[in-house]
This record gives sequence, C-alpha cells and structure tokens, in this order.
Amino acid sequence: MKSVRNLILTIIFVILFAVFLEKAPEFLNGYWQRILNLIAINAILALSLNLIYGITGMFSLGHAGFMAIGAYVSALLVLSPAQKSAMWILEDIYPFLLNVNAPFVVSLILAGLAAAFFGLLVALPVLRLGGDYLGIATLGFAEIIRILITNMAPLTNGSLGLKGIPAYTTLFMSWGCLGIVLLCTVCMLKSNFGGVLRAVRDDEVAAKMMGINTFKIKVLAFTLGCFGGGLGGALMGNLITTIDPKMFMITQTYNILMIIVVGGLGSVTGSIIGSFLVTTMLEWLRFVENPITIFNINIPGIPGMRMVIFSLLLIMVIIFRREGIMGMREFSWDIFFPKRKIKDFESKTETVLELQDVKLKFGGLSAIENLNMKIRHWEIVGLIGPNGAGKTSAFNVISGFYKPTSGTIKFLGKSIGGLSPDKVCQAGMSRTFQNIRLFGNETVLQNVMIGSRIRQKYHWWMSLLPFVFTDVIKEDAEVRAQAMNLLDQLGLDAFADEKASSLPYGAQRRLEIARALATKPRFLLLDEPAAGMNPQESEELMKFIRRLRDEFDLTILLIEHDMKVVMNVCDYIHVLDQGVHIAEGTPEEIKSNPKVIEAYLGAGASEGSAA
Amino acid sequence: MELNIFVQHFINALSLGSLYGLVAVGYTMVYGILRLINFAHGDIFMLGAYFVYFATIVYKLPWAVGVVLAIIGTTICGLLVDRVAYKPLREAPRISALISAIGVSFFIENFAVVVFTGMPRPVVQPPILMKPIEFSNGVRLIPLGILVPVVAFLLVGALLWLLYKTKPGLAMRAISFDIETTRMMGVSVNKIIALAFGLGSALAAVAGIMWALRYPRVEPFMGMTPGIKAFIAAVFGGIGSVPGAMIGGLILGFVEIMSVAFFPTLSGYKDAFAFLLLIMILLFRPTGLLGEKLEDKI
Amino acid sequence: MDAAKMLTIEKLNVSYGAIHAVRDVSLEIKRGEIVTLIGANGAGKSSVIRSIMGLVKAKADEMTFISPRDDKPVSILGKPAEAHVKLGISLSPEGRKILPHLTVEENLNLGAYIRDDVKGIAEDIEYVYSLFPRLKERRRQKGSTLSGGEQQMLAVGRALMSRPDLLMLDEPSLGLAPILVDEVFGIIREINAQGRTILLVEQNAFAALKVAHKAYVLEVGSVSLSGTGAELLNNPKVRAAYLGG
Repeated sequence: MKSVRNLILTIIFVILFAVFLEKAPEFLNGYWQRILNLIAINAILALSLNLIYGITGMFSLGHAGFMAIGAYVSALLVLSPAQKSAMWILEDIYPFLLNVNAPFVVSLILAGLAAAFFGLLVALPVLRLGGDYLGIATLGFAEIIRILITNMAPLTNGSLGLKGIPAYTTLFMSWGCLGIVLLCTVCMLKSNFGGVLRAVRDDEVAAKMMGINTFKIKVLAFTLGCFGGGLGGALMGNLITTIDPKMFMITQTYNILMIIVVGGLGSVTGSIIGSFLVTTMLEWLRFVENPITIFNINIPGIPGMRMVIFSLLLIMVIIFRREGIMGMREFSWDIFFPKRKIKDFESKTETVLELQDVKLKFGGLSAIENLNMKIRHWEIVGLIGPNGAGKTSAFNVISGFYKPTSGTIKFLGKSIGGLSPDKVCQAGMSRTFQNIRLFGNETVLQNVMIGSRIRQKYHWWMSLLPFVFTDVIKEDAEVRAQAMNLLDQLGLDAFADEKASSLPYGAQRRLEIARALATKPRFLLLDEPAAGMNPQESEELMKFIRRLRDEFDLTILLIEHDMKVVMNVCDYIHVLDQGVHIAEGTPEEIKSNPKVIEAYLGAGASEGSAA
Repeated sequence: MELNIFVQHFINALSLGSLYGLVAVGYTMVYGILRLINFAHGDIFMLGAYFVYFATIVYKLPWAVGVVLAIIGTTICGLLVDRVAYKPLREAPRISALISAIGVSFFIENFAVVVFTGMPRPVVQPPILMKPIEFSNGVRLIPLGILVPVVAFLLVGALLWLLYKTKPGLAMRAISFDIETTRMMGVSVNKIIALAFGLGSALAAVAGIMWALRYPRVEPFMGMTPGIKAFIAAVFGGIGSVPGAMIGGLILGFVEIMSVAFFPTLSGYKDAFAFLLLIMILLFRPTGLLGEKLEDKI
Repeated sequence: MDAAKMLTIEKLNVSYGAIHAVRDVSLEIKRGEIVTLIGANGAGKSSVIRSIMGLVKAKADEMTFISPRDDKPVSILGKPAEAHVKLGISLSPEGRKILPHLTVEENLNLGAYIRDDVKGIAEDIEYVYSLFPRLKERRRQKGSTLSGGEQQMLAVGRALMSRPDLLMLDEPSLGLAPILVDEVFGIIREINAQGRTILLVEQNAFAALKVAHKAYVLEVGSVSLSGTGAELLNNPKVRAAYLGG
C-alpha cells in the first residue's frame, strides 16, 4: 500500500539523516555545524510563523518578541547561580531567580509555554483586529516586550544581555526539536483540524457558516505558533550562547517572514526549503564582504553588500515568483513514483422555519420591512424579487449574519433570532452563497470534510499526536468516508482530489451544496444556485434540487433570478420588492399577480400589453 | 518645573511631533490609496538627510541649494521605489506588496551602508540656526526649535491646500475611496499614485533634513525607529487623513517628551509609550482619531 | 460608411473565471438615439455596459466608437476607462457610486476632470443644477448625506460633466420611488432631446421601453429579442424573459 511505502521511506530517511548527524562532527568543522544548527532553528521559527500566517492567515509581525521570551526563559533556567551572580553588575538579580535551575530540555518546554502564554494574552484582545492592523499591533507588542526586557534589569540584566549560556544546542538537539515540531505540524495539518485552519484563512465567513468558531480557532493557532517561536528562541540562545535585547528587533521577524515567503506561504515543505536556502545564502553571501583576489586583482570586501544582494533577491522573488518556491504545495514521496472510494440522514416537524414581523434596518435605511413567512417540512420555497429587494438580506438574517432589528425567527420551534452563524448552523441550518465561497485552495474532498467539523469529537490537541490518540485517525477516516459518500451521491466523486477552484463552474455550485450538506442540515438555504449557468446547466440543476430534497429529506429555501428554475422547482413563492413582502403564493398565482409584474417590469406594465 | 525648562520641553515636543507628523503624512497618503504600509518610507527619510549632508558638508554647496537638491533627489528615489517595487504588484495580493516594501527597506538601508559606510557622520549646524535668542523672562530659544514646527505646519498647510483646492488633489481624495469610479471620470490612476509617492517623499526629505540638523548626525539606520513611530502616528490620527497624521505626530511627540520630562525614571520606557498608545487606539477606536471607516465588504 | 453610426459591437463575450456572463452580444447605436438594454437580474446587462467602458476584460470581434467630433472610427476594445472618457463616453454606474466623502460640487468637478475650461465647467455645473434643482440646494453637502434619489441625480449629473457624446446609464431607476422613476426618465428624455446619445441599461423594462428608440432584450447573457421600443412594448415575450413564461 501507498501509505505503508511512504512510511517506510520516511523512516529510512530519518535513520539516514540521524546517522549523518551522528557522523557530522567528524567531517564538518564548527562553522558548518553551526550553519546546520541555524537551518534547523530557522525552520522551527518559520514553521511556527507559517502556522500563524501562511496557514491560518493572521498577519503577525511579532515573532521576534516571542523568540525573546523563549530565549530569556531558557537562559535564566540553564545558567548556573554562580554565573548569574557574576553577570548582574548594574542591578542585583531577583533572589528567587538566582537559584532556579532546570535541565535544558525542561527549559525548552518552559520557554515554549511562556511564549505561548504571552501569545495567548496578546491574541485575546488583538485577534479581533484584521489584516494590516493585526500586523501593526503584533509588531507593537514585540517592541514592548523588547523594551521591557531592556529595562527590567533585575530580571533580564537589561541591555547588557546574558552571556556564557551553555551551548546545549547540539545538532541532535536542534534537528530533534525540528523533527518533533515537523511531525506534530504535519499530523495536525493532515487531520481535519488542519483543514479547518486553512478554511479560516481562505474564507472566514464561509467557515462560520460551517459552524466553526473562527475566533477560537485563530487564538489557538496563534498560541501554538508562539510556542514554536519561544522554542526557536531558546534553541537560538543556547546556540549563540549570548543574548541581548538588540537581537530581537523587527529585523529578526523580517528574516523569518522572508523564509516563509521564499519557501511558499502555507507550505510546510516550503518553510524547510526556505530556511535552508535563506540561511545558507546569508552565510555564503558573506564572501562579498571579504576581500577577494581574482587574477591578481584585489577586490576589497564591501560591508553591507551582503544584505543589498539579499534584499534585491527578495524583491525579485516577490515580483516574479510571488507564490515562492513551493506555492502551497507539499513534498510527498509520490512524486518519485508514477501515478495510479457509505449513507445516513435524519428528520421531522411540521413547520421548519417561521418568521414573524421581521424587520432589518441599517442606520435609517430599511432593508426589510415586516417579513412574515412560514415554511413547512419538505417544501421547496422560492424567494424572489427585483434587484435590491432585500432577498440576500433576508437570507443573512435567517442564517445569523445579521441580527434582525425586530421580530422573531423560529427554527424547528426554537427562537434563533440573533444567534451567531456558527450556532445557527449547529441548530441544523446550512447555506450557500451568491458568489460561491469555497475554500479554493483545498481539495474537493477537504471542502466537504470541513463541513463535518461541527460533529468532530476529538480535541484539537489530539491531532498533534495521532499515533497516541488513535481516535483522530479513526474519526478522520469516518469523516472522510462520509464525505466521499456525499460526493458520490452528488456526482462529484471523480473530482475528489482536485483543487476546488479548478472545478468547472457548475460543479463548484454542486460542491458548495455538498459542503453545506456535510453539516447534516435539515434546512438548506440556496442563494442563486443557477447564477452564471447556461440553460442546459440550469435544467440539470432543477432536477438536482428536487433530488436533494428527496434523498436528504430536506426543506429548501432558495433565492433565484432564473424564473424558469423558480417556477418549475418551487412549491411556493414569496416576493419581496424594496424590502416589502408584496406577494406569496404558488408559481401560477405569482405569475399572474399584478403587483409582481409591476415590481419586475415597472409601473403600468400590468395593464399594458407587455403583460 | 521652571518656566524656562518647561518652554524648552514644549518646543522640543513640538519639533519632534511635527517631524513625526511630516513623515506620517507620507504613510497616510500611500496607505489611504493603496492600503499599503510603505515600510521603505523611513528609509526615504534617511536618504533626504544623507543627500543634504553630502550636498552641504561634503560638496560645500550653500544650504539653500543643498536643501533643494536633497528634496529633488529624495523625491526621485520615492518615485523609483513605487515604479520598481510596488507598481508591478498592484493586482497582486496586498501581502506581496508589503513583503516587497520590507525588501525595499532592507535594500535602501544596506545600500546606504555600502555607499555611505555604516559610520555615523556628524552634521555641522549652520550657526545662524543655533544662536540662542534670549527673552526678558529668562526663556532661551534656539531658532532651529522654532523653524522646525513652522516649516512643518507650512508644508502640511500647503499639502491640504493642494488636496482640497486643486484637481489632482480632488482626484487623490477620490481615489482613496473608489479607484474604479475615479478611473471612470478620466483620471489616470497611476499618475495620481505617483504624485502621492512624490509628495510623501518630498515631505519625508524635509523631515530628514531637519532631523539631521536637530540631532546633528546621519547614519544608514536612522530612518527605522522614526519611520515606525511615524507610522504609528498615522494610525493614531486615523490612517488616510492628512490632518490626522499631523495631529497623531504631535501627540506622539508630546507624550514622548513630556513623559520623560515629568517622570525621568521612565526614560527607558520612552519607546514603549508609542506602541502602547497604538494598541490602545486600535482596540478602542480602530479608525484612529480622525479616520473614516474604510469599506469592508462581505 | 454610415455616418450616423456611433457604437458598433460585434460578438462581445465577457467571462468572470468560470462564469460566461455575456455570450456573442452584438449591438449598434446610432447618433441621437436612446438605446436600451433590458432583461432580468443577472442577464448580463451591466457586464455589457462595463465592458464598453473598459472596466472589465472582454473579447469581441469588433467594438468601434465613432466620435461625432471627428468622425473617425476608433477601436475601444481593451483600452482603459480613462481613455474612453477622453473619447467622449461616460458612465453613470450601477449603485450610483457617489464618492461619499466629497461634496456634491466636488463630485461634479471630478466628473469634469478631463476638462480645463474653468468657465465651461462652471456653466455645465449650472446646467446640471437646472436639471436637478435639489442638487443645487445641497451643493456643499457630502455625498453620503444625500437620499437615494438625490444620489442618482448626482451620478447622472456627474456623468454629464465630461460633456460625453455617448452617455451610458446603468439602472438609473434602481431603488427609487415610482414618482422619482418618472422624473428620472423625463430627464433622460430631456438630455437626449438636447442632442446626446444614450445607452440605458434597465430592469424597469416598461419605463425604459417607453423612452427608447431601440431596445435589446438580454437573457442569460445573450440577446433574445431586439426591435424598436414600441414593438417590444407590445411583445409578450418580454414578460416571459423576466418571469419565465
């Protein structure tokens, strides 16, 4: 089997690499050993920032600060009391610190935990901000951490820094840590929890609609990333043996950012390759700063030239190959080998959804006025109206994206007005969007699996060590099987491993519906399912919607402009015009309703011969 | 606190604040239009300082000529940065341009090390700016301390005139809200963006020159910290707002100088205040003091 | 060559990613006409008008504009929007797109960006105010404080400020109260009577057909019917295009 083969190859590789590390001191001098160590440490830092930024999509510029915390915590734990009392010259060290001591490995873990704790403190307020603001705020925190370190001399020895830290970071230590971090990261990212992280990055709104508490997920990923930052910082301190606040300036964060950009944002493999390239390149470029002799001509070294060339290379990468070396792809043994698929659903109550006098206002503008609607089990109901009628607003109110200004919304007998989208989803409602919102970088199968997240029983941390917590593997396999089954039912099984964004348009629409179905809803909202389809495609869609209702025992509410679809597929139709509920009835009634005709074709049309 | 000392602090704060403000204006104009944090802006500021140093001290040109040449040189550099490193990335995800900006910042700093060497160089201050003026109540002022805020206010006033009274200014205000609609009105968007970079760089050059006179030396990394603080000032005042940037700069200047003046023991934490101020405003009023809400569509 | 032609489009196609929004649309506008493009939501009307303005990438066998200023045919396919304005085409976009932080007068001045004749601009602003007296009352107010109807007037006025030969209006009646709809269409007629050619995209088919000399009905991205306004007003197929027959 393929996975067994890959596992064997991986184990062989790890053993060979361990032998290499064992023998390395015999044929590599100190300088090259140090570079090897730096590659591993940079890779850990890159992986952790990539988790925050590349994979979960939070633009953080604060990594250097978390590294600093890790480096200081570890250094304070491994330095001997004698060293400490000799080093604090300007101010005395806090007495309790003088005698604290811990083995290196313990200090590493505590360094990571301390950084993670500060990360959590930062995350809770700051992650409410988005985009660039998040970047600036995290940068601000990192600088504050640095300034605190500079000024809290009794704790950190201030700007003098710490010297003589034991050089505990051996090749086995750094690469061992990288191995563990890599294993945990890969396992987590391969599990369905990893899919959830990427879903939050690709489309937060759609992720919420899948029942995911995106804020919690973001805080979690940020905290985990900070752990990595602290660990990396600690290893770095024990490699260089000297740390001071100046080491952890913003440039340090930029360096790591460059590694993940060069390697490919969101790619684990990319982070490894990136740290290898950037670390060695930075070392190799030192030659331009040393004097060289070519054909008896002496060229003096030029200080600063190294970073000039390096920054030019970076700008070129960004302009000409923006996705980096790996893009979002990952390494797999499969590339060395030439290439070569289960049912259950539930239900029943009479009235599924009931809206009473629902109003929605934005500022002074009224988007929806007094909407009353009753949808019974097993019905397919249409919501129509001309442009700007408030249909999508109505959807947003029902699915929890907007809070109704007044009125009640009852779903399966319970009031849901004002619940957040993830809670509404958990109550058994699911929707699609007008402008398809798939997680475009994920495969078709992963998109559907994310839909199952709300029923996931294992905790996120179990996904770090799936070999210990075998529930993860078992559950993920189940989810996968169910998702495959769903794809099979919707005729998408052939596309399972394709990237969602590469699918033909009609299939993307169906995939969005499949993803909505994976949350096992009892009520499905479809926002313009026929948008952008040609007549033949919309013909197929009509059959498909009816089949959905029958096979999955659903109740469906849909917005649609293609009147052919609406008139043919709906049992009942509600009409909105400029926020006002102007008519309801069967398709035949609606077609000849003068108010409806007027709303669509303009005043006077119902008497005119155009009618 | 004695009157004399207080006046000294006040003038210091005003000078520092208006320098932050001048640099912040460049950040705010570019961010308002492109939603790009131009990390290289602080380094453009540094170039302005170096240019005037070379023109007046190395090549012994008169100050007036040196200042004009330095402003022109810096503006050209600012335009080049946009043309080479940002323009190819207009359609790209915003992060790409941001990384490019970080790259450009690195490049300029280290290029400066290569060309100018990393050694700080002393700037000889024109004596006329340094001769103290004494007032009858014992207050002594250095003309430079007055010159800096006056120049800064005049320039920002001129910029506001340009923004609110001229056609390119109208286009610039329109672009920051809706590029497509502005284009529909016949505006060449790239020219207006270049104008924003040019103006921002010219103001940064002036700030750099005055900074070099105040702390009489130049060095390749002198733009880093003032750059980041000016950006904070821009965010604090409300990113996209020119008066906001100036007010943000002044507040930052006053907080830094006055906190140290009144609480000397906190001097080590001076730089932290800027960041604390930033985080506070982001949490409680993300649009800044004068900022308008930027469109955020689902 | 027929001197009265102004805009000729042959086989226009517009795609957004996998969505093929406009398929093989051909149309022709003659000088002095009001031509309307009607059809249900999502039929591709806006895409057509936006591709004429150069705001979306489009493919076409031909897209030629003949300016009455010099009678020279110019291919406008693939040119940026700002070049169109200089040729004499302007658009009042769907959703009005008023710049909310600029005043009414600044919005109008922006519309005249390509012109340098200060006096002419001032005259044209007065002309717009004569068309829409309410704008004059609100000349110093910010765009965001205007009502929907006033914003619509401002959008139309702004599009007139570049003195276009071809004025394109995307859904000028959208979201307006019926009485305002009548007013807007009255003004469209007036503008046309003063010699401007108009391309009108409308969902309000009845009102549009009443003012139009010529009309095209769009269904799922292709032209399903065309004819004079009066012909289509009496054609039952128009209603079918909206309500699915």
